[in-house]
Amino acid sequence: MKSTLFLTILLMTAAVGAQSRATQAPVSTARADAPIDLVGQWVAIISEDWRWRMITPAKGDIVSIPLNVQGQQVAEAWDPARDEAAGEQCRAYGAPGLMRGPIRMRISWQDDNTLKLETDYGVQTRLLRFGAATSPGPRSWQGFTSAQWIVRGGGRGAPRFGSLKTITNNLRPGYLRKNGVPYSDRATFTEHWDVHSLPNGDKYLVNTNVVDDPVYLQAPFQTAIHYKFERDTSKWDATPCDARF
Amino acid sequence: MRRKVLNTVVVLSVLLTSAPAFAQVELGGTYAIRMYEDYIERGPGSFLGDFTGMPMSDEGRAKALRYSSSLPSMIERQCLAQSPWVGLYRPLAIRIWSEVDASGRVVAWVMAGDYLRDTVRIWMDGRPHPSPNAWHSPSGFTTGQWEGDTLVAHTTHVKTAWIRRGVGIPGSDQSTFTVFITRRENLLTIMTIQEDPIYLTEPHVVSRVWEFDPRASQGPLRDTCNVGVEIPSLEDTGEVAHYLPGQNPEENYMVRTYNIPKDAAMGYAHTLYPEYRKTLRSVYKPPDSCGRYCCGWIERQGLPGAAPGLTCNDGNLPPALRKTLTSSER
Repeated sequence: MKSTLFLTILLMTAAVGAQSRATQAPVSTARADAPIDLVGQWVAIISEDWRWRMITPAKGDIVSIPLNVQGQQVAEAWDPARDEAAGEQCRAYGAPGLMRGPIRMRISWQDDNTLKLETDYGVQTRLLRFGAATSPGPRSWQGFTSAQWIVRGGGRGAPRFGSLKTITNNLRPGYLRKNGVPYSDRATFTEHWDVHSLPNGDKYLVNTNVVDDPVYLQAPFQTAIHYKFERDTSKWDATPCDARF
Repeated sequence: MRRKVLNTVVVLSVLLTSAPAFAQVELGGTYAIRMYEDYIERGPGSFLGDFTGMPMSDEGRAKALRYSSSLPSMIERQCLAQSPWVGLYRPLAIRIWSEVDASGRVVAWVMAGDYLRDTVRIWMDGRPHPSPNAWHSPSGFTTGQWEGDTLVAHTTHVKTAWIRRGVGIPGSDQSTFTVFITRRENLLTIMTIQEDPIYLTEPHVVSRVWEFDPRASQGPLRDTCNVGVEIPSLEDTGEVAHYLPGQNPEENYMVRTYNIPKDAAMGYAHTLYPEYRKTLRSVYKPPDSCGRYCCGWIERQGLPGAAPGLTCNDGNLPPALRKTLTSSER
């Protein structure tokens, strides 16, 4: 009798395992595995830090940002004319500064394992790459972003939820704020992306992010930024980088 | 024996083939404030007349402009700062714990952390919200459910309360809140969406971050809604501190101090969106210098302040303490 029981358990475990593998088998690309839908146009709602995000604050206004002394000295030396002359007018449009800017962004699948994020503000493009690492290439304003779905549930008919985690490095030195608050080329930008829906159909994207920079920050710079999904895409307004406004 | 085997098979079948119950994320613990957003608003308090980033109705704007800093000193108005989700606008840590029934099932999540309000209890047991005519309390009535790793809460039955601190932006007792609470690793993100048919023209959205820290301080314990009279001259006079319409001396403070258009300072919804920069581009000129609270976070957090000669030396710290902080290595 014991052997019968053992055999029954063995068979059932195998059957459930096979079922589990069967349901997982088709999932082979990031696009197919996506637990949330980020595709579409999103607009930043500037309901927080308006005076530091919507406009360029005065030089030396570094309130809220945990700069170390070296970072403060760099911020105090901000000179937009110098950036323009050096062809560096996009310094405030690197990924860590851009996401907190007054942006509209369009997210789409470039291929089955790459999400493309485009912004009208500064006309920037960032690629969120799933899967095995590829060569990061030269440093850039948007850096190199590796992406990973965090999936919850979904087994045997249960609801499937999740979020996106991205880590960006290989950045050119840039600004966290338009008035020259710096981050260095050693900065790492970690983001958690969540989509929340309301019963009325409104959708919000929340980007919880951390900037770690051993050069200019004395503590990780942690914020949450929210965007609203736009069905009407007519307000997209591509404007090039501007070092002053 | 055959029956035993059959029972075993049935039990195993149920256990192995049923959909797994959704595991709740453990939210319990203390979380340290990280004031890397809206430091001035959450620390020293907003400048009077600063309604930037708010989608206010004309009624809301008119009421906010009647606000005087002496108003909270009146006993009958000291609780106007007591909103269930005021913690998002304040400088304190939060503490979360669960309440369970006899079987260990979570009946409610409770959030504390600000002396300006009572705890917020998020009922998880499926109970309905009370009748619209039921009593409204300072903490309101909140229910919640899990959506993946996010606790989604809905708050109704609140009292009239200021939305931001120290500036008089009103929220009516018809306000409702949808709240998304997500704990991920050590970070806790809370996003609130406040809707108010009286004082807002569209939902007011705020998202903030806290960091798990067992030593996080919630500050000194005080009674909910401190009622000490701070301006004795107001006591028992019957006077209500206020400004008459058009007489608020700070109505143009943001315009004259930061050169921003008045419609942005006065909280019109269209100023919250990127397209408003087209208007700003032609009229905005950055101030020549920073002025007040240029580096408040650094000094308030007790970390080393600025080097001599930098803008951050704006006098927020006593000289002796500044010297101690800037000379220590951390």
